Amino acid sequence: MAMTGKLVVNLHKLSRFANIAIPLLAGLFFLAGLRISFYFHFLTVAFIFLTVLNAFYLFGQKGHSLLRNFGILAQGRYVLESIGPELRQYLFLNDTEERPFNRNERSEVYRKAQNINSASSFGSHKNFDSTEVKVRHALFPIDKSELKPLTVTFGDMRDCANPYTLQHPFIISAMSFGALGERAVRTFARGAREAGILMNTGEGGYPKYHLEEGCDLIFQMGTAKFGLRDEQGLLDDEKLRELAAKPQIKMIEIKFSQGAKPGKGGLLPKEKITEEISKLRGVPIGKDVVSPPCHAECKDIESTVRFIARVQDVSQLPVGIKMCMGDSKEFRELVNEMKRQSAFPDWITVDGSEGGTGAAPKAFMDRVGIPLFPGLKRAHNILSELGVRSRVKLIASGKLVGPGRQMIAFCLGADAISSARGFMLAAGCIQAMQCGNNTCPVGITTHDPDLQRGLDIDLKSARIKNYVDNLEHDLVELLCSTGCRSIQELSFDRLYVPKDSTLHAYVVQKR
Amino acid sequence: MLSPSSKIVSWIAQLVAVVIMGQTLYYKFGGAKESVLLFTELDMEPEGRILIGILELVACILLLIPSSITFGAMLGSALMTGAIIGHFTTLGWEGERFTLGMLAVVVLAACSIVLFIRRHAVPLLGSALQDRGE
Repeated sequence: MAMTGKLVVNLHKLSRFANIAIPLLAGLFFLAGLRISFYFHFLTVAFIFLTVLNAFYLFGQKGHSLLRNFGILAQGRYVLESIGPELRQYLFLNDTEERPFNRNERSEVYRKAQNINSASSFGSHKNFDSTEVKVRHALFPIDKSELKPLTVTFGDMRDCANPYTLQHPFIISAMSFGALGERAVRTFARGAREAGILMNTGEGGYPKYHLEEGCDLIFQMGTAKFGLRDEQGLLDDEKLRELAAKPQIKMIEIKFSQGAKPGKGGLLPKEKITEEISKLRGVPIGKDVVSPPCHAECKDIESTVRFIARVQDVSQLPVGIKMCMGDSKEFRELVNEMKRQSAFPDWITVDGSEGGTGAAPKAFMDRVGIPLFPGLKRAHNILSELGVRSRVKLIASGKLVGPGRQMIAFCLGADAISSARGFMLAAGCIQAMQCGNNTCPVGITTHDPDLQRGLDIDLKSARIKNYVDNLEHDLVELLCSTGCRSIQELSFDRLYVPKDSTLHAYVVQKR
Repeated sequence: MLSPSSKIVSWIAQLVAVVIMGQTLYYKFGGAKESVLLFTELDMEPEGRILIGILELVACILLLIPSSITFGAMLGSALMTGAIIGHFTTLGWEGERFTLGMLAVVVLAACSIVLFIRRHAVPLLGSALQDRGE
């Protein structure tokens, strides 16, 4: 290697030097301990241990090439790498960079949850001119007093015995007891009750803690039908009737697919299966719980629609379905079959393809399913083209944590917003991305009592209510600015869609 | 996860180390004649006697708390290595010194057994072992 005369750090040489220096120093300190003071043997012992460890790295183990080639100094890489995510989040990533939620989005939720004014100064941080979808305001905004109520009624388009009116168009999205710990379930449920909104139970079976808090509930029936299954894993009508008769259960949602892993069944990692959960779901401890990819009753489009009608008939409640959009042709066939049988679900929840608390294979989370906005637009378009848009409500779900994205979803056809992570952030989530590991540092997605201790139910449920109130406040103001008197009056034309947006394909040539 | 039998072996080794190290503390902190003589020969009296006594006490406590067992075993084995060096260089192995030296060897062996059984939890070592499929 040529001498350049420049001051550079050659890590390769440095590590070789260290590998020789460590045993030499051990010997040197031994001599010093012998001649000068026995205290030097503290260092002797330390360096003997280092020598043994280093020998193991260099000659014993084979798993890590770096350690095998360079010894102990290579640990520096792993140490730095292991604290990388924290360093990036705390120091190095700017306010608009992080995924899934950047610091701006998170702090907007925190401010709403803590009732702090969210006005900011000196301009937007967004990539303003090129990619951001915007709402077109009206020349003559209207006053709040002119707005129609923001309520949504489910089950009113057929002779359902118990239609349900949602007072505010927000829903706490499906997170099961299992994904969430007990205190988190109580926090969300109490918050939902105080805010007067709905909470979805998730597919985790009989909703014990949800019921205790007494909020209005959507019971979610996943493909495994936890809580409602018979011995073969099919729907037990008697159990459904019994569950639907409970006063807190207002609606039933049949889950066909989920944004995190469309095409696969639900997954609860074994780390999170406690004795109580194994009992509530009837599953063994120590094994991942994997729901089947589809409902056993639904073999084709015809049987699927019949199954929806059967659940409506047995439960006597509004019944909807949840799906992530995939093939538009299939969806069109499904809606056509609904028309033929004259049996419609009371709503369809269109889920984005990002995923939340649910543990999902990375390939599915990243690569399968159509993102919320284009998916929602497609669903709305197909229902409209087939003339049945008014028969079915649309609930949008997928990263809708702030009023901006929620407004876009409303313009694309949503009747209500469903969010899980928004409410988690409101309850103190710091996006540590540990949901599947049972190590959530703020006690939301964990069953560890030491970690759950940090979640104060009274305080955090009050924040859920604040968050809903402030979301509605912003929604009202945005609606007034567009001159529309209700959510239903909003339309795609209310959006300005720049060329780089995924929604641009739906823009009919006009300026 | 450790198998129940290796857990039992580990706890027996931990208790052996704690009992042997623990009982010498009585002499170290009490300033027993033999102990003072020993540390005088090492030219560490009295600070070294107290310091090593405190470190041994810490090792005993760490060995008994489930989340810190490996740290206690590491500290214990380091201290015992130092003691054995002392016997080889200054103290010798005659008479009672042989017993004391052998006790140090026993504690070192006990700590090594603990470290071996719990090797996957040892800092700087665990992950290198896991990736070998062990």
